[in-house]
Amino acid sequence: MKNRLLMSMVAVILVLGICMGAMAEVTTITFMGWEASPLETEAVQAGIAKFEEQNPDIKVQYTPGLSGAEYVAKLLSTVAGNTTPDVFFIAAEDYRTFATKGVLEELTDKFSDSYRLDDFIPSVQDIMSIEGKVYGIQSCIVAPIVYYNKDIFDKLGIAYPDADPTNAMTAADFRELCKQLTIKNGDTVDTYGVYGLETSWLTIYPFMISNGTHPYTDDYMTSTFNTPETAEVLSWIRDIRVVDGSAPDATTLENIGMSAAQMLQTGKVAMIIDGSWALQQLSQMDFNIGMAPLPKFKEAVTNSFAHLHAISAASPNKEAAWKFVQFLSGMDYQGALVSEGLWMPNRVSMYEPEAVAQWYREDVHGESYLKMLDYFKNSVVGPMALQKSNKCQSILTEEADMFFKDGQPLDVTLQNIQDRTNEVLGKL
Amino acid sequence: MQISANRNLNRPRLRGRKLTDDTPWAMLMLAPNIIGFFMFMVFPILATLFFSFTEYDLIGAPKIIGLDNYVELFRDPIIATTLNNTLVFTLITVPIGMAFSLLLAIFLDQKIAFKRFYRGAYFLPSITSMVAVSIVWQWIYNPEFGLMNYLLSFVGIRGITWLSSSSTSLLSLAIVNIWKSAGYNMMLFLAGLQGISNTYYEAGQLDGASKWKQFIHITLPMLSPTTFFIFIMSVISSFQVFDSVILMTKGGPGRSSSVLVHYLYQNAFQYFSMGYACAIAYLLFFIVLLVTMLNMRLERKIKEIF
Repeated sequence: MKNRLLMSMVAVILVLGICMGAMAEVTTITFMGWEASPLETEAVQAGIAKFEEQNPDIKVQYTPGLSGAEYVAKLLSTVAGNTTPDVFFIAAEDYRTFATKGVLEELTDKFSDSYRLDDFIPSVQDIMSIEGKVYGIQSCIVAPIVYYNKDIFDKLGIAYPDADPTNAMTAADFRELCKQLTIKNGDTVDTYGVYGLETSWLTIYPFMISNGTHPYTDDYMTSTFNTPETAEVLSWIRDIRVVDGSAPDATTLENIGMSAAQMLQTGKVAMIIDGSWALQQLSQMDFNIGMAPLPKFKEAVTNSFAHLHAISAASPNKEAAWKFVQFLSGMDYQGALVSEGLWMPNRVSMYEPEAVAQWYREDVHGESYLKMLDYFKNSVVGPMALQKSNKCQSILTEEADMFFKDGQPLDVTLQNIQDRTNEVLGKL
Repeated sequence: MQISANRNLNRPRLRGRKLTDDTPWAMLMLAPNIIGFFMFMVFPILATLFFSFTEYDLIGAPKIIGLDNYVELFRDPIIATTLNNTLVFTLITVPIGMAFSLLLAIFLDQKIAFKRFYRGAYFLPSITSMVAVSIVWQWIYNPEFGLMNYLLSFVGIRGITWLSSSSTSLLSLAIVNIWKSAGYNMMLFLAGLQGISNTYYEAGQLDGASKWKQFIHITLPMLSPTTFFIFIMSVISSFQVFDSVILMTKGGPGRSSSVLVHYLYQNAFQYFSMGYACAIAYLLFFIVLLVTMLNMRLERKIKEIF
């Protein structure tokens, strides 16, 4: 009896010891990101579960962060408090600042061992590489395109916009189309032609680039906003709303609690200009969606950027963190989110027909998406990703608000933008 | 017996020692509060003062630059704009807000039906989250579908873009803040009103004073301690307004509704200029200190008059 008791105790101690030993080998890494939508939250959590399944020795402790400027505030606080997560999202526009200030671990050697920079599409290379060094890896690109409600086009007997970028609508044709799609009912408007042109510089920049101008010089040290081409673009956007009445006020519908996708679904607008991330939500809504390239001034072009995944320079778990960053840029994670329509691929190889067959889903992407693959692959880098100071972005938002919402004259707006941004850049 | 006698003889000294023995206990009991006060009040105040003399981005080590941040305060045109907006916001919200709260308090101090319900209803906004309040007011201010423009349309006023026009954005925020703080100030005024003895009013009635004269010569002077308390607290909270700004307009359009604390936040967490943000914090501190000191001097003078 005594022997049996003794043996049982030894067995329990052995099992406990083995368990504790196994537990001791598990490395826990902290991870912080942001969540733009509940669908994105689910996607990130599913990705973490898959990584933990593939790497039983690593546990990921995920902290969802805030978004936009509040995320930067949170990240800065963790840096100041020496509690920076091992792996974290970093917005493209903040990547250079945090890298040059030594917050991000330099990954150049590790990166070269596992990746070829030229396998990433050119706009991604521009963002990831800082003077030949890499501090973070992008998992995707996002770019604005046109989404439209096919039912409204059918009802009005209007042909769908061509998805082939070589036949992209001209800016003038698009303005005309917006007028045709606007359905008025006495003093009120039942359906507006378009929404989303004024909401962000992400959607304004590609029109400037399409019109042959760029907001900054090549080194991004001087602002070149005040050009006739930029003036033409801003006037075109404003006139669609103010002169033609084909677009609602930039904040009107959002203020009543509707997202751009819901506006499109409910027929409040016939077309929206939105980031490619909208496709995930749109594809799960019950209506017929079409997609087309942005209208062109001189050439059909869109701009792209996306966040990067970086490792903290102070991380004590750099090897485990690197494994996780690699997973986040791999087919298992990136491919799944591309497949759901949230992201677009950022590798040249993922645009090859065999790779496309792996992530393409007809019920999500539809036929038109396939015609725009080269358009996405050749997207130019979004200037906000490379601009040198966050103050420039604040100035742009302030001045665009004054122009679009408050009637500030165009020449004053452009001069203000150029002078104020150059003053900021001059102090760097 | 000898022991007992000694005890009696030593009683005063023993009592003294007992008090001394209690001191460590007292310190221990007070310690959480004192430690908290030093950690979360004194230390941040001193750290903010130190950082205001540095160039600090929250990432690298702070670099001492002397008075440069304070000199920049006078050069930076956005400081002038945001300071002006803060003053205008205070000038709108404090007098109108206080007058409105006082009116509500007087109204709800009368013998009316459902008095308790009204008191609760008016107090409700002050305990409601500013996030929820902001969402509701954004709907109310919606230019096309909002309640505000709908009501104004009955008097022929149409199409005001409340939050997206530089001429109305600050006013719109002020209205929300007046509405939100009215209930809290009303409760303070009510407490003040109920503290005024009826004998003053009875004496006034005997002397033939009208209701208005009773209000001017009895109610207002007797309420002055409450009024000054509310005034000082309202001025301080107006200078510190931030939540409604960031939630409803983000300081826009342009800088039309950007206030000092909003610009402070932008510098600290968006522009990587924590040192400059600390200097703005001290500018705000000195303004609030100055206004409070002026208030207190004014209060003393008014007390001398009455």
